[in-house]
Order: sequence, then structure tokens, then C-alpha cells
Amino acid sequence: MKNSLHKHATLAMVALATALGANAAQAQEKKTVAYLAPSLDISYWQWVGYGVKQKAEELGMDYIELTSENSPAKQMDNARTAVTKGVDAIVIGPVSSTSTPPLLAYLKSQNIPIAFAGIGPQPGQADYTSSVTANNYETGKAQGSFVCKLAKERGGNQVGMLSLPQDRENAQKYLKGAEEAFKADGCDLAQMLETRALTINEAVTQANDMLTAHPDIKAIYGMYDEAGTGAAKVLETRGLTGKVGIAVADGSPTTIGLLKANAIQGIFFQEAVGQGIDGTQQVYNALTGAAVEKDLALVMPLVTADKVDSPEAKAVIARVFPPAN
Amino acid sequence: MTQNTTQASADTKQATFEIQHRESIIGSYRTEIAIAIAIIVLALAVGSQVPQALSWGNFANITQAGAPLIIMSLGVLLVVITGGIDLSVGSVFSLTGMVTAQAMAHGFGGFEASLIGLSVGLLFGSINGFLVTIAGLAPFVVTLITFAVAGSLAFIVTNGRSMPIGDPDFWLLNSGSLVPGMPNYILFCIVLLVVIELFLKKIVAGRWFYAVGSSAQAARLLGIPVKRTTFLAYVASSLLASFSGLLTISYILNAESTAGSSLMLQAIAAVVIGGASLLGGTGTAVGAVLGALMITVIQNGVNLIGINSFWQGSVTGVAILIAVLIDRFSKSRRGAG
Repeated sequence: MKNSLHKHATLAMVALATALGANAAQAQEKKTVAYLAPSLDISYWQWVGYGVKQKAEELGMDYIELTSENSPAKQMDNARTAVTKGVDAIVIGPVSSTSTPPLLAYLKSQNIPIAFAGIGPQPGQADYTSSVTANNYETGKAQGSFVCKLAKERGGNQVGMLSLPQDRENAQKYLKGAEEAFKADGCDLAQMLETRALTINEAVTQANDMLTAHPDIKAIYGMYDEAGTGAAKVLETRGLTGKVGIAVADGSPTTIGLLKANAIQGIFFQEAVGQGIDGTQQVYNALTGAAVEKDLALVMPLVTADKVDSPEAKAVIARVFPPAN
Repeated sequence: MTQNTTQASADTKQATFEIQHRESIIGSYRTEIAIAIAIIVLALAVGSQVPQALSWGNFANITQAGAPLIIMSLGVLLVVITGGIDLSVGSVFSLTGMVTAQAMAHGFGGFEASLIGLSVGLLFGSINGFLVTIAGLAPFVVTLITFAVAGSLAFIVTNGRSMPIGDPDFWLLNSGSLVPGMPNYILFCIVLLVVIELFLKKIVAGRWFYAVGSSAQAARLLGIPVKRTTFLAYVASSLLASFSGLLTISYILNAESTAGSSLMLQAIAAVVIGGASLLGGTGTAVGAVLGALMITVIQNGVNLIGINSFWQGSVTGVAILIAVLIDRFSKSRRGAG
């Protein structure tokens, strides 16, 4: 009897150990992806994170999130923390392109695949798995043409621009593309004002000042979401809604609402969620030995006011921000 | 003959008194007058480059853009006069907007939501006042903490997302007209300016603020309630920051968690430009309003002329330097006189 009990206990222990071992092996096989955000106070980076998380779940990966608070040093610390935690891959929205070389050197030494989302690595860097960004130059050209068309439809050829800070590479590319389009299509850029605070309030002040200095402006190009919202507010106050056209880059629930109300005529959507999804797919491919696309430059799709409710527009918007928004 | 001489003497005395009174008013507002002249010169200089700068429409732009800063600066002034500093106003401004918008999203009307929003100011002002007066902590440290906490809460409330304003009539707070022909944002600025200036100059409790800022110890010996005065200064500062936040969301009909991030330094700069000393004991509401207007006119001018907006900080810095030099120059002349 005693022997039989012993035997049963031993068998149970063996079974438990086997089960635990199997679980541990399974846990070891389950990959983890870390999303390093430059800061999470900007919706855009939250939405990229949503895309990473969504794709990670779909691929059976665990997800962790770390924020760099716009500090290159914190970003580096986060990369080290992620590696210490045992992550298998990283998707990063970097603090800036120039902050990336030491990070890439470190991750290469650790053999961790890394995908960029939103902002790419510093030009000349090659030690990354994939870079999923918007094609800012081509998008700038498309935006310039659209804005010029809006101005001409309203009987003028002067356009204004509320720009992101021009020390950003993406802003420079947008501007270069737009300027080329203005020149080709016969429009004049009457004034460009750069943001410092990226707030609607600042954009309202700037749009007001721009229209005061250049009353012949017939279309405004907002290079970021708040710019479009601020410009729309100013036009409403001045009774110019529809008389001066607005096109905006990025896209958010607020600007979509304005698009539906015809206060904005077109949005060039930056696929924040889509960039997170694509970046995660690329690092997963690298981990599993599948083919990887090194540079994915997505042209930002345009959705106009008349097509905002179409199935195509809804598919685009699904890659911009999470449904809860 | 004697009667005529007496009458002439009385008239002379009356005239002398009036001149002296006028001179004393001019003398006590010498810095403010210099700033007002500087603003006019600045506006004319911008107008020479861009004629529309001197239009009525641009005046409306400047007052609208400057109103939140003016109101916030009036609050910061009260703290600065007592020898303190309030670094939390920008965060309180943002948090008020987010809380108010969130309250509306939860079904509260504009008025009730505004009261909830103002309670943010009341709460943070009380915390600042309590920690400075009762706990005896340095104002810089205390308001740095509440700056961080309120700033963080502004993100937490909506997870960093901007919030549209739910009440369709909420724009009336800023752009409606309680007095026909005058938008509310101008009315609020004028009323607050007059009330605070009169309070500081004509009411005994208002003079206590200067006494506390000049020397808290001497004020205590004179029987002035130093702690209560200081506490009130912080509460007023936060409340006005909250109100300024309400006015802004009423204008743009959107609340943003970063909306007030640049305002705190501007408000302190406005107060300093207006002639207040960060050591306490000096400053006027008129000066703070003019300081805020000067910053707004600079920003407006930079935009109108098309100068890269990154220069705004440098131009404002130079304006502060000039204002401080004017202030020092006028004080040393007064001292010499």
C-alpha cells in the first residue's frame, strides 16, 4: 500500500514536471516584440503602438511597450532594458533619425532585428531590418497638386502652408515635393509658417496671421493634423469656410469630422496603425527566416470629402487609428 | 483785494495738487507707459512692412490670441508680487481643458463642466498654497511638482487624445457678447485688469501682497496675515490659469493635453516685462497685461512679416531684456530725483 502510494506520487511528480517543462518550452518559443515609442503624448505614436500590438497578437507574439520621452539617452536605455527582458525583436518610432546609429550598433551586437515605423534611420545606416515610413516627397508632391487645385477652383493661385518644424527630415521632403508641385501647376506659396508647439491654438493664431498678411490666399496646406483643425476654425470665424480650401496631412477623428462637414476638402492619411502592423510583420519575417522588405515607403492616400464614407476610405482609415477613436 | 488773493492762492494750490497728482500717476506707471510706447512702436514697425498689421481685423487677432495669456499673467503676477513663483499654470491650463471636455463628454452641460474645470484650478491652487504656506516648501519646488502632476494628469484624462467640445453653445463663453459689440474675451480681460489693479492699489488686503513680497517677516510683525495672503495668491493664480484654459477651449472647441505647455514661461515673461520683480514686492496688473500684449504683438509681427517662428523666443528674450533695462533705468532716475 505504502509502495503503491509512493509510485503514484512519483508518477504525479513526473507528470507535473513534464507539463511544466512543456509550458516553459512553449513560453520560450513564444516571441516577444518591444515597441519603443519616442513619446506617448502624441496620438500618432499611440496608434503605431496599437498596430504593433494588434499584429503581435495575430502572430502569437507577446508585446511590451517602452517610451523614450523624446530623449535619445532614454531611448538607448529602453533598448537595453528590452534586451535584458529578453525581447526577440524591436519596432521603434525613434526620437529622431540622428539618434539611431548607436542604437543600431548595440542591437546588431545583440542580434535583435529592428524595424522603424514613422521615422526612418539616419541616412547611410544599414544595420536595420526594415524601415516603414511615409513617402514624404511623393506625398508632398501629391499634396501640393491637390492644394493648388483647391486654390484654382476658388479663383486664385496663392496658397499658404502651416508647416511642421523644418528641421525635421519629413517636413523638408513634404515642402520640397509641394513646392515642385506648386511650380509645375502654376501656384504661388504666399507664406509658410512653422509650428513650435504643434497645438490647435498655435495653428489658429498662425492661420489668422497668414490670412491677415495674405488675404488672397485661396487654399491652405496643413502639414499636420492640428494645423488643419486650426485653419478650419479660422475660416469658420472669418466666414470663409469653403471659400478657402484646406488639405491636411496625417488624419485623426477630429479632421475626419471636419472633412465630413466640408470644412476640410482632403486628408492625406498617414497610416500610423499600418506602419506598426507592417513593421511588426517585417521583424517577424526576420525571426522566422521569411523574406524581408528593407525599405517600405508608403505614399499617403488621399481621401476627399465626397468619398469619406466609401468602403475604400474606410479601409484606409482602419490603417490610420484604432476603432475606439 | 484780499478775497481775490485768497481765491487765486486756492486756485494755485488746487492746480498744483492736480499737477502733482497727475505726475504721481504718471510716475507710478512710468514703466507701463514705456512698454505701451514700445508696443506702439513695434506695431508701427510691423505695419510699415505689412500694412494689414494695423487693420482692425489684426487688432482682433492680437486680442483674441493674447487673451488667455493676459488672464494667466494676471494670476502669475499676484504670486510674483508676494515673492513666489507659479510654474504650474501651464499644466493647470491644459488639465482644466481636458477635464472640462471630458465632463461634457459625460453629459454635463457647458456651465456645469466649466465649474468642474475651475475646480481643477481651485484644487491645484490650494495644494500649492498649502505646501508653500503650511508645509513651508519653496514655491519653485512646490509648483514644479504640481506642474509635473497636472501635466501628467492632462494626458491621463483622455490618454493623450485631444477632445472635441460637446456643448454646441460653449463658444459663447469666449466669443459671445455680454456687452453688445464687445466679445467676451476682451470684456473678461478688461474686468480682470480693473478689478486686480484696483484691488492691489486701493484695497488694504491688496497692499498686503506687496508687503508680503517686500519682506514677509516685516509684514508678519505688522500683523499682516502672511500665510493667508500667500495662500490666496496661489489659489487666484491657479483659478485664473483654469479660466484662461476654459476660454481657450471655448474658442477652438477642442481640448489638448499640451495646450498650455508654452504658456507658463510666457506668463512669467509677461509679468517681468510688465515691471514686476521676481524678488517680489513690485508689479502692476496694467504692466502684466501690457507685457502679455507685447509678447503677443511680437508673435503676431513675426508671423506677419514671415520671420521663422523659431526666432520668436529670441525676440521675446530681447524684449524682456529691454523691459528690465527700461525699468531699472526709470527706477534709478526716480531714485536720483
